[in-house]
Amino acid sequence: MTGASRPAARVELPRILGAIRPRPRWTETRLLAIAALALILGSISLSAGLTGRLALYAPQGLAIYLVALGLAHLAQVLAGRRSDEVLLPVVGLLGGISLLLMQRLPQDLVTLELGETVLGLGEVQLVWLVLAIVVATTLGIVVRSDSWLRRYKYTWAAAGIALLLLTFVFGSDVAGQRLTLRLGPFSGQPSELLKVILVVFLAGYLSENRPLLIEQDTRLGPLRLPPLPYLAPMVAMWAIALGIVVVQRDLGAALLFYAVFLALVYAATGRLSLVVIGSILFFVGSAFMANLFDHVRARVDIWIDPFADPLGAGYQVVQSLHAFARGGLLGTGLGEGLPLVGGRLPIPEVHTDFPLAALGEELGLVGVIAILGLFFVLIERGLRIGASAADDFRAILATGLALVVGVQAFIIAGGNLKVLPLTGVTLPFISYGGSSLLVNAIVVGLLLALSDKGVEPPPPPTGVRRWRDRLRRRAA
Amino acid sequence: MDGLLLMVWVIRLAFLALLYIFLARVVRSLLRDLRAAAREPGASLGRLFVIESPGGDPEAGRSFDLDAITTLGRDVNNAIVVEDPFASGEHAVLTYRGRSWYVEDLGSTNGTFVNGRAVAAVAPLGFGDEVSIGQVRLRLERARPS
Repeated sequence: MTGASRPAARVELPRILGAIRPRPRWTETRLLAIAALALILGSISLSAGLTGRLALYAPQGLAIYLVALGLAHLAQVLAGRRSDEVLLPVVGLLGGISLLLMQRLPQDLVTLELGETVLGLGEVQLVWLVLAIVVATTLGIVVRSDSWLRRYKYTWAAAGIALLLLTFVFGSDVAGQRLTLRLGPFSGQPSELLKVILVVFLAGYLSENRPLLIEQDTRLGPLRLPPLPYLAPMVAMWAIALGIVVVQRDLGAALLFYAVFLALVYAATGRLSLVVIGSILFFVGSAFMANLFDHVRARVDIWIDPFADPLGAGYQVVQSLHAFARGGLLGTGLGEGLPLVGGRLPIPEVHTDFPLAALGEELGLVGVIAILGLFFVLIERGLRIGASAADDFRAILATGLALVVGVQAFIIAGGNLKVLPLTGVTLPFISYGGSSLLVNAIVVGLLLALSDKGVEPPPPPTGVRRWRDRLRRRAA
Repeated sequence: MDGLLLMVWVIRLAFLALLYIFLARVVRSLLRDLRAAAREPGASLGRLFVIESPGGDPEAGRSFDLDAITTLGRDVNNAIVVEDPFASGEHAVLTYRGRSWYVEDLGSTNGTFVNGRAVAAVAPLGFGDEVSIGQVRLRLERARPS
């Protein structure tokens, strides 16, 4: 008994600071070196395409970015974390490609005035990228316990819904979608943050109710379902997804939330029947919406035949397809795609919605496949971290975090390639945009923290303490 | 001019090649990681970790790899012998059926508890849940490559 009480006091301190014991991360070092080399070559190629000289294009920007990556690596080495060594290089390479692309696009797409200096698209993106690296690394090093996520799952859910309502009430309309929330000089897209909150809530809910969801004691025709009360959150999710489509006109977020939700239900229960029912509900809802709401029908019509109105509604998608076609197998080379046609961008919103089309033109099929491959690696890492997690909450959380980024990437990639209807979600780590980059950095940071073998063991489930006290009383 | 063009193409291809070299290195490290996990002898269905055991047998902090059917109790013929005054000879059995773990009380005197709730006959058990037999507290964990 004395042995049990003394370590409790000793454990408190080191857990906050952590015994600092540097630990080399050679895999990460090597991968980062290759990524840095690739980005330097990319920058030279970009310079050759834009100015015809073999030099680094905007060397300060690239240097700042590479130094930030190096420092992030160094911080993790010094902190001695045994976390995943592949995530940072993969994300770093994606971010670097994003930097090259934003330096290459017309700089006046986005400007930020700071006193006398005016930052262009490339510089603003650089600022966000560096911030994202800082956020991801800090979370990866500092987060040593998950109880702040695990315990307050309903609070998180409430916060998420509040965020949604706030956007709906106070949000400002941009291009027919009410997604942006302005707060003084800052503006952000809360639906980006919402996706992380959703995963946290689902991880908490599913890990707690997993056994109940596996039971099948309700029969509905040929289908066997879990007890009906436990289906309520599922129906609520469906309603929220459809609500986002109707109220916010944000098809991308709705599709993303619902797809991740179904995937997590499957991951937690292994019941295909739930996924089938969920998909049927979704398709019924979608068909209904497509007939009822013009903005949904317009998207579907464009998807089925963008060439019906190539200069109007279908313009973006048609131009995107042309860009991919122009790129061919090896691409035109960085900086040699078509920046402007007749004084305007060939693809409107190329920096947020169509970065893959721009990369497809300049890097070709080979480059696009490499980039999609990087996203696949990201998903694989998340699933792997989930598979080796200590308990259900962490397993579902890691799976969900990886899927939320991966599925988003494939929704927008599908939109650019006319495989799926085009939706306005960003391509993670590549699109321009502060909120998107920061939220995806949070995801990476949490994955790093979850993958650490030295994190705090999962807390005992609630209810145990009560039982233990009762038994002690009985024994005494 | 031609020399420059050639250089540009070389750099362009080298950039693409480096992307693939990067991917190849990543995939190699992922494969190594997956193979290590597959080689792990503890690739069992789960583990039972002893959180608290006042009697000292099983030792607190120890963990057992679980078979699809694992019996617990004070009798020496159990897979996991729980030496505790509040435990019965044949106390409980853990079974892995289909996709999930279940705990079954074998008519013990003092009952089997999951997260503090008494098990009536059979109760589903998730990873991270606590099973209590007498004063011994055990936690079901995933088989984890250590």
